[in-house]
Amino acid sequence: MTPPNPGTELSPQEIARYSRHLIMPEVALDGQKRLKAAKVLLIGAGGLGSPLGLYLAAAGVGRLGIVDFDVVDFSNLQRQVLHTTHDVGRRKLDSAAEHLHAINPEIEIETHEARISSANAMDLIRPYDIVIDGTDNFPTRYLVNDACVLLGKPNIYGSIFRFDGQASVFAPPAGPCYRCLFPEPPPPGLVPSCAEGGVLGILPGIIGCIQATEAIKLILGKGEPLIGRMLLFDALRMKFREIQVRRDPNCPLCGENPTITELIDYEQFCGIRGDEVSGPQLGSQWETTVEAVKARLDSGDDFDILDVRNPEEWQICHIAGAKLIPVADLPARVHELDSAREIAVHCKTGARSAKAVAFLREAGFRKIKNVRGGIIEWAHKIDPSMPTY
Amino acid sequence: MIRVVLPAHLRTLAHVDGEVQLEVKGVATQRSILDALEARYPMLCGTIRDHVTQQRRPFIRFFACEQDWSNESPDTPLPELVATGVEPFLVVGAVAGG
Repeated sequence: MTPPNPGTELSPQEIARYSRHLIMPEVALDGQKRLKAAKVLLIGAGGLGSPLGLYLAAAGVGRLGIVDFDVVDFSNLQRQVLHTTHDVGRRKLDSAAEHLHAINPEIEIETHEARISSANAMDLIRPYDIVIDGTDNFPTRYLVNDACVLLGKPNIYGSIFRFDGQASVFAPPAGPCYRCLFPEPPPPGLVPSCAEGGVLGILPGIIGCIQATEAIKLILGKGEPLIGRMLLFDALRMKFREIQVRRDPNCPLCGENPTITELIDYEQFCGIRGDEVSGPQLGSQWETTVEAVKARLDSGDDFDILDVRNPEEWQICHIAGAKLIPVADLPARVHELDSAREIAVHCKTGARSAKAVAFLREAGFRKIKNVRGGIIEWAHKIDPSMPTY
Repeated sequence: MIRVVLPAHLRTLAHVDGEVQLEVKGVATQRSILDALEARYPMLCGTIRDHVTQQRRPFIRFFACEQDWSNESPDTPLPELVATGVEPFLVVGAVAGG
């Protein structure tokens, strides 16, 4: 980190605001000026971005950039404490800027309404000193990592799933980059996202606060940053572990002979094609609609409905008369199904049930159809009283 | 008894709650631990090591006593603390949630 501009001064109001910092020898007036002069970019104003924004704003980071393109949804509020019930439907950037200004009007907040991509990442990141990765998918993780390495910016990393969290600081050449640790992402669908598998609402608070702490330490130039180390947090056992992570001399990005010298197509790198998002393409003869299923139920047709979601999702809502077999259990429980009967297969939105139909088709079932849009479509079009998630 | 810590999504797949405890025949190595793990939880085959090559998959790493063993020979004996169950063998996977 570069030292602050000698002209950076604190007003009397700022001195009062930051007094608990100013009396700490590790911060003091010089450190607070460094914080005021610092430019930090948050990628994402969601679960991790919320505590990051709140604490870095309160700490007096002078210029806080936020990149996001999403709007606040009810399902965000369990963990994204930067947003309130009143903000549902608003742009996250508007909600974030308003709340962060309310916490600290002395700082500058720059909002960037964009989905970060290979086309804009370098320009978004270049003006900042430090980048904090609060994204929620593998393509963006690799994009942020690569852009930070190419621009020589430290990347403060955190990620979460269910009760588990990871945090580190990637800052070659002092330590490894994300690719040194994980040269390739998991195939699509192997590692569930928080939207698919859930996350403890408090977890991003803990991991985000670790990331914020690392940002402050880097700015101050104090302490031992998490460079070359990763913290693993297990909330269920309330246990932190530390592991050593090393640079890979053969890393294609930060190694001795790099082959990645510019940003690439990260969707392609992560193997994401349309069918990973919507499930395999089955063809229209293997698909049906919620309206058609409802019409058959109303007319008393004799057919089965198979729900391939998880039991926890079933508890939230289900279609009366449906049979539950989670898609992961299907190979072991396929004998419970009668291939002679017609079966309408559904999940939450249609992707997992498409996989289930593809599996059953391979197993010899011929009278099966995937219900497009899943139970969410059912709730929207057939039964608006049904709770959604 | 050897303790193994799995990533959350593999715990779900194997239907286990916390650490896995394994009896490993012979010397505790990455290979002997993973062989015992896959024998007990066949659904994990292919998720940690490639089905065919038996190589570690690139989004998984192995740690013992805080150190990265991922690039060591799979037949190198692991530290005594792991072999005796004092420290766990960590299987760490990439996650992307935020």
